[in-house]
Order: sequence, then structure tokens, then C-alpha cells
Amino acid sequence: MRQKLIIIMCLLFIPALAAGQESVITADSSLVDTITVVPPAPVTDLIAYDKNNDHGHAIILKWTPSADDGAGKKNVLGYSIHRSLSPNGPFEERGIAAAGDASYNDVGSKERESADYMADHVDYYYKVRTLTADESVYADSEVVGPVQSYGQWFNTDRWMVLIFVIGFMAIMIFMINKARRGAKLFVRRLAGIEAVDEAIGRATEMGKPILYVLGLGTAAEIATIASFTILGRVAKKVAEYQTGLIVPCYDPIVMTVAQETVKASYMDAGRPDSYDEDMVYFVTQSQFAYVAAVNGVMLRELPATNIYMGKFFAESLILAETGALAGSIQIAGTDEIAQIPFFVVACDYTLIGEELYAASAYLGREPVLLGSLKAQDYAKAAVMVIAVIGFITIHFGWDTFVEWFHVAN
Amino acid sequence: MKRQLPLALVFIFGIFMIIQYFVPHESSEWVFEFLLDWIYIIGIFALALGIWSLIRVSWDKVKYRKENWFYSLVTLFGLFAMIVFGFDYLRNFQTAEGLQNFMFRHFFDYIMIPIQATMFSLLAFFIASAAYRAFRARSLLATLLLVAALIVMLRFNPYFGPISPYLEKTASWLLNVPNLAAKRAIVIGVGLGIVATALKVILGIERAYLGKD
Amino acid sequence: MENSKKISIIVFAGVIVLFFVSWISKTSGFQSTGLPFGASVRDGFLITLAAFLTLAIISFLYKDNPYYKFAEHLFVGVSAAYWMCVGFWSTFVGNFIPKVSSTLSGFFEVPYKGFDIFYFVPLILGIMLLMRLSSKVGWVSRWSLAFIVGTTAGLNLIRYMRSDFISQVSNTFVPLLVEWQGTGHFFSNFNLSISGQFVMMLGNWVIFIGVFCGIIYFFFSKEHTGFFGAASKLGIWILMVTFGASFGYTVMGRVSLLVGRLTFLFRDWLGLIN
Repeated sequence: MRQKLIIIMCLLFIPALAAGQESVITADSSLVDTITVVPPAPVTDLIAYDKNNDHGHAIILKWTPSADDGAGKKNVLGYSIHRSLSPNGPFEERGIAAAGDASYNDVGSKERESADYMADHVDYYYKVRTLTADESVYADSEVVGPVQSYGQWFNTDRWMVLIFVIGFMAIMIFMINKARRGAKLFVRRLAGIEAVDEAIGRATEMGKPILYVLGLGTAAEIATIASFTILGRVAKKVAEYQTGLIVPCYDPIVMTVAQETVKASYMDAGRPDSYDEDMVYFVTQSQFAYVAAVNGVMLRELPATNIYMGKFFAESLILAETGALAGSIQIAGTDEIAQIPFFVVACDYTLIGEELYAASAYLGREPVLLGSLKAQDYAKAAVMVIAVIGFITIHFGWDTFVEWFHVAN
Repeated sequence: MKRQLPLALVFIFGIFMIIQYFVPHESSEWVFEFLLDWIYIIGIFALALGIWSLIRVSWDKVKYRKENWFYSLVTLFGLFAMIVFGFDYLRNFQTAEGLQNFMFRHFFDYIMIPIQATMFSLLAFFIASAAYRAFRARSLLATLLLVAALIVMLRFNPYFGPISPYLEKTASWLLNVPNLAAKRAIVIGVGLGIVATALKVILGIERAYLGKD
Repeated sequence: MENSKKISIIVFAGVIVLFFVSWISKTSGFQSTGLPFGASVRDGFLITLAAFLTLAIISFLYKDNPYYKFAEHLFVGVSAAYWMCVGFWSTFVGNFIPKVSSTLSGFFEVPYKGFDIFYFVPLILGIMLLMRLSSKVGWVSRWSLAFIVGTTAGLNLIRYMRSDFISQVSNTFVPLLVEWQGTGHFFSNFNLSISGQFVMMLGNWVIFIGVFCGIIYFFFSKEHTGFFGAASKLGIWILMVTFGASFGYTVMGRVSLLVGRLTFLFRDWLGLIN
């Protein structure tokens, strides 16, 4: 009987317990309903200033992150940056910074028609809003401003480049003046350059023409300009020896300049009547069509000498090998580092990189050009001295010297 | 006028382009972008000069029945056919429809592309013939070139048994260390050469491109 | 008739026959895939033409021949006109006309971007360039040339000073004593792995000395004798190793180009491979 009573009381007690539990659960969930996101602390020390060394239309903001960012309440999701033309608004959102960030670059467009246009010399006001998981819960910083964006007239990040440009100009002008005053400037032998004269002589003896390829650069490429100077010297010798000259051109402006150069050389040599404008002609501005045509010239005209001076790309090996098959003496010069190995392998003489630019001084032996060559050598010596200083400063931890040479784009 | 004005123009524009690099202001940038745009537009007029030269040289060969004159006719045929298609049979020459013209695209796809790709593929043969001629190791320099080339060419070859991994590491070291050093030396020299030549052009010392009166 | 001429005629006849056989077979091949007759004939012709032009160029490896000459001259004419058309429509009509004339913009059916008087400058300079064709006033073209040459000379001067000179000098600042913590530490970390102290230091020394000797090789104003000569010699050795490595590096890439063309011939034209 007693056992039955206990069982009945237990049976009655269980629902009561369950009911109680539900009420506890209910009480807990009501507790959950009442938990709200607490507004975080706003950012502090907000400053805004014009971005330096640019064309304008950009302002930099910096701040101390919220005390609740990664610490305190740890409820910061990120920051939104707001801008207005007046301190009282209305503010428009300009961008978002992640939690932990302490700066933002507000960069606008310089095009008036653009939706993102940001005018210079206009007062802007900024505030930074600290964001949480709840959109309606945030904290705004103080409004800072007015701040204006404007372009600078000198990019101070590029001072090292300016020093080098002025320094090199000064050295070059000094050496050129020294050369003009009659100073004897020694230059060592360059096999490739000496071979040019021999090659022209060989072509004359064989009664075959010389093929001169200016490369695939435009008339404004420095390698092509250097090639024009060499072409001028070659053309003058060719005019004196009455040898044939073939100059197929890739670029129409190059053709124009090459015609002027060759014509001037023939006039210098006292043979203006021997000049034929069809010596220098345009082929096509398609890389491999040009190569196909030059290959055809090599195999049909069988030039005694092929001279390749200028900018070359993948076609360099095709040209050089075809010329070798045709039995021509080949002299090449390019500043395209990727193509130099092919010219070294396939040609009789190769001017490597800087030697192409030195060639004009070598061929003419004009004091002014020799002076500039000397200036280049001094610059190279300076490079070596700077490299040694760099090595020393690295090991003593003097990073400033190394930092000077990191020029931003 | 004939020489002094062009030299002055070279100087003015050359110096401006140097100065504009240091002046980030919008006005400098605006002039810079204009100048670059102008160069592209002038290039189109130069192209007309080039086409005229090609037509004249080809027609001369045909007219005077010079050697291989028939092929100059082929050149002229290809040139004029492409122009007609490019301007959409001269019917719709106002719009760039010509570039979408069926024959224009097919000439490009079935003449230009195959020949271009085949010319490029000839490099496989030429690289072999160049290697055969060059790798005879007649001098120390040729030997160095040959050995370095062989190591790099064979670096992924598994048939060298136990030395294959060392071959690969050596090739990798060659490409990353001495290769880098030499290229840096060449690039520094080239950079100086370009700067010096550009300065000579701007200062009027280098003036071969202007020709003579 | 000479033997060589007879052979040339037989070869030519063979080529013509082969061309037509290929055209017909490709046409029937395209037709069997459901393509209409007209399109099959057209595509059959084009594939056959592409294949024959490919073979014509490859025949150059044997020797210069009429087929190569034909392909070469056709390529020159077609490509010259191609770039002329593209240049005209993209630069002249696309970039220039919309900024100088609303009438011409309407005529060429391109959106007018508003009149910009500064775009008359390249027009004038371009016309000056065309005066090259006249012997009397051809000298006027020098003004256009001067503009182009001067502008790009200034641009290149700065570009190469920054990228090819200053940046490269800056990259030469390598630590020659890598994480030097004493001889004991060095020898305890002595290994040939790529991250090992020895290999890193060796690499940095080779780079440093290689750059030095390479630059010395390019010195023009001093005779290469004595110490200078020895350093210059070391420089050219390193240059030759570089050229050999670059050569070896590109071999496989070049061979893959040939594989591409052979795939076209054997798959797209002859249908011998899937």
C-alpha cells in the first residue's frame, strides 16, 4: 500500500516537474528575448587630411579603433566612413573598413561626369561609424573637418629618381664638354662594331647587297633610334663602296626616318644620285608576315651581310637561322634580354644590351658621343659604390639608405 | 625652320615628359594623357604612308616585270581584297561592320592565323639547328653555354636515374641565381644606355632621325 | 623542256589535284555532319586552304619555293590591310572622330563625345607626316617626327631610370652574411637545402659578384687587363651560363608550338587523330 502511494505521488509529481521545467524554459527564453546588443565605444582621435603626392580627389582618414574592437565588449564588426559637405549632414557612406583597421583612403574620381566624382578645393566633413552585428546599433565618432583634397605640384616620393636624373645629366654634360674641349677619351675594342666595317667590305667584294633590319620597334623606341644612327654610318660606307642596301621596315614611321637617314648618308658620301627610295620600304606591321618577307629577301637576294639592330622578339631566331642558312655574315644587337641568347648562338657577332647604344659612338668616334659613353661608365661605377654601401648598411641595420631606393610607382 | 624647330620641339616635349613624372597635379596628368593619345592618332597617318610604300613597290615590280613580279600581284590582291572586306564590300563602309564582315574574319582565321602559327612553329626546327651549330664546344664560352643549356633542357628528364633530382636542383639554382645576376647586370647597362641615348636625343646631340637637307 | 621544269609542272599539277581531292573530301565530311551543302563547300575550301598554306610555309625548311613565295606574299598583303582596317576603325574612327566632328560621328555611326579642339593637333601633325610624299615640302614631316621622338624619349628616360636602373640597384642590396649568428650556428645549419644558410649565402654572393663582374664587362672606357680583365672574364662566363640556361629554358616551349600545328594538320585537316 505504501509502495503504491509512493508510485502514485511520483506519477503526480512528474508532470508538475515538467510544468515547472517548461516554466523555467519559458523564463529562460524570455531572458533571451530581452538581451540586446550594446552600442560599442566610438573611434577616437579621428583625423582627416589630403592624400599627399597625388593628383587630388583623395583624402586619408586615421583613427584610434574602438575600445570594444577586439577588447572590451568585443562586439565591433567594422567601420563605415561617412562624408558630407556640411558638418550637420546629410552624410553619405563612402566605404567600409574592417574591424581592427585604423585608416581609410577616400578616393574619388577626377571625371566630372562620373558618379564617384570628388571635387578638389571643396570642404568635406567626415565621421566614422562603428558597426555591430545589429544594423541599428552603432556608434558615431565626432565629425572632423573641413578638409579639402588637392593635387600636389611635386611628388616627394620620387626625389631619388630626380637626383639620379639630374646627377646623370650633369655627368653627361660635363663629359661632353670635356670631350668638346679636346680631351682624349679612350674606348676599348668591341668585336661586333669592328666587324661592321669588315662585313661591308666583304659585301662589296662579293658584289652582294647588305640587309639591314631595324627590328620591330617603333621610331620612338630608344633601341630603334640607336639603330638609325648605326644605319646612317652603314649607309654612308655602302654609298662610298657602291654596295647594295636593303632595308625592309616593320613600322611606317621607322620607314620614313630610315629613308631620311639613308638619303642623308648618301648625300654625305657625295652620291645623292645613287640613292633609291625603294631601298627602304615598308613590309607590314604583322610580326610573322614581316619575318616571312625578310626570310624571302634573304634567300632570294642572298645578301653577304645581315645586320640586325633594334628591338626583336620571338622572330629573332628565325631571322638569324635563315641568314645563317643563306651563308651571310651576321651582326646583331638588341636590348631585348630574352632574345640575346638566340643572337649569340646564331650570329657571328652580337652586341649585348648596352653595347648597342655604344655602337653609334664607336662607329662615328665623335668626341661628343664618346663623352656620353664615359658618363655611362661613371654611372656604372656609381652603381658599384652604392651596392657596396647598401651591403654595409644592411648589415649594420641602417634601413634608411635601403629605403631611399624603394621608389613607389 | 627645317632643323632648328624640330630640335626645339624634341627638347620641349622631352623635357615636359621628364617633368610631368614629378608633377602629380591633374593638369600635368591631363597634358600627359593627351600627348599619348596624339601619338596613336598620328600613327594611323603613318600607316597610310606605309601602305602607299607597299603598293608602290609591289606595283613597280609588276609594271616593270621584275623578278618574281607575279607574287607582287598576289600581295596586291591580298591587300585590296582585305580592304574591300574590311570596309564591308564598300557598301557599309561607314561602320565598323567591316571588321565583323564574314570574309574579313575568315581571311583572318584561315590565312593569317595558320601562316602566323606555322611561322612561329618553325622555331622548333630553328632552335634545333641553332643548337647543333652552336653546341660544338670549340671554346670555353661555348662549352659553358652548352653545359648550362643541357642542364636546363634535361632537368625534368627522369631517365638519368639517381642524378635526376640533382639535375633539377642544379637547373633551378642556375635559373634563379647566376641567371638573375647576369640579367641584372645587362638590365642596369641597358637602362643606362637608354637614359643616355634619350638624353642625347632630347639635347639634340643624336639627330640622325631628322635626316639632312 | 628541262627536267627541273618538268618536275615543277608535275609537282604543281599534283598540288592542284591534292587540293581538290582534299576540298571534296572535307566537303563531304562536313555534309555528313549535317551542315548544308553551301556551308560545307565553303568550310571545306577554307580548311584545305589553311592546311596548304601551313604546308607551304613548312616547305621553306627544305628550300625557297613558289609555294612559300605565294604564301608569304599573300600573308604580307592580307596582314598589312588587316592592321590598316583595325587601326582605322579602332583609333581613327573610335578615338579621333568622336572628339572632332558630330557630322562625321553620325556618318560613321559612333557616339559623339563632344568637341575637343586639342584633337586638331594630331590631325595637323598627321597631315604634316603625309607631306613626306612631296619632295618640295617633305621636310615638314620632321615636325611630326620631332613630336613623337621627343615625347617618347622623355617618357622612356624616366621609365628606364626608375625600373631598369634604380629598382635594379635596390635589388642588389642583398645580405651577404645571411642571419649571421656566429660560426658555430653557421656550421650547425650547414646543408644543401634551398633554405639552408649555406645555399642562401652562396646564392647572395654569386648574385653580388655576378652583378659586379657583369657591370665590369660592360665598361667601355677601360681596357680589360689585370684585375679588371679577370673580373670582366668572370662576367662574360656568367653571361654565357645565363644565355645557355635561357636557351635551354625555351626549347620545350618552342617544340610545343610545332605540336600545335601538327595537331591542326593531323586532326582538323586529315582527321587521323581524335
